[in-house]
Amino acid sequence: MFNLINPSRIFYWIEKLINFINSIFFVILIIALTFALILSPPDYLQGDSVRIMYVHVPSAWIGLASFTGIALFSILNFIFKIKNLNLVSKSIAPIGLLFTCLAIITGSLWGQPTWGTWWVWDARITSMVVLLIFYILFILSHKLIEQESKANKVSNLIAIIGLINIPIIRFSVDWWNTLHQPSSIKLDGTSSIHPSMLLPLMLMLLVLLLYCALILLMKYKTEIIRIKKKNIKRI
Amino acid sequence: MIQNIISMNGYGFFVWLSFAITFLACGALYYKTYKTLKKYEKDFAKELNQLSEEEKKQVLEKSKVASEFLASYNKSI
Repeated sequence: MFNLINPSRIFYWIEKLINFINSIFFVILIIALTFALILSPPDYLQGDSVRIMYVHVPSAWIGLASFTGIALFSILNFIFKIKNLNLVSKSIAPIGLLFTCLAIITGSLWGQPTWGTWWVWDARITSMVVLLIFYILFILSHKLIEQESKANKVSNLIAIIGLINIPIIRFSVDWWNTLHQPSSIKLDGTSSIHPSMLLPLMLMLLVLLLYCALILLMKYKTEIIRIKKKNIKRI
Repeated sequence: MIQNIISMNGYGFFVWLSFAITFLACGALYYKTYKTLKKYEKDFAKELNQLSEEEKKQVLEKSKVASEFLASYNKSI
């Protein structure tokens, strides 16, 4: 598995994948936006404001999944000392930060027409702000600490500590009385969302995942070049 | 129909703003990432081309990434 992220093997494939994603991205984006903004029905209670869900929910999922990935890579890196995992984590972090910010902002825009307030310190929203802080700390550790091995150790530690927050975010709506609604989509098959809304949601998720893959590949390629550039004189 | 899509029954401001912020932020990150990648590619190619033939040969022999990079970079320009 680790050979797949070996820079010398993956370099050629990065270029191929970037070209492939670029070629299909806009077609899927147009289809997803048509469903999300025009074809999907309004909610019987929330009306058309429910369409914010099509950017808010995938953003929150990506924010959570990215940090979980970073934390798991950090644990693996602590155990197996695989340098490439640090490069991948470093490349994922800005994507996670962006989507966590977007989840909070679009959540606030959804809160105003639904709850009548832009902001409330409820458990789900507060735990998302904590996640945002962990992302900022992770990125800052790489920016501020010059010695790379030390920066990697500190960022790995931040990610592992931050992992505690992930189940808190996930179950906050069940553990506490919150203004935020409970999950409508569950993996055990008891989802309460109608298929006419699930389809645009999944399409928007696919679009944003393709975007994430594109950014991740470009960032990973940048990191490889940065390291090779640094080592050129040593070679 | 167009009027309905724009106004979204009074929720247009919130819905369109959410989508606009999402796509603008994604566009900004894409632009920044793309620019940084191109800058690093250009600098790396410049450094490789500044090496003497002997050094260049040595680097390309020892680093598969450098040789792959130079091949794809020369093709793209």
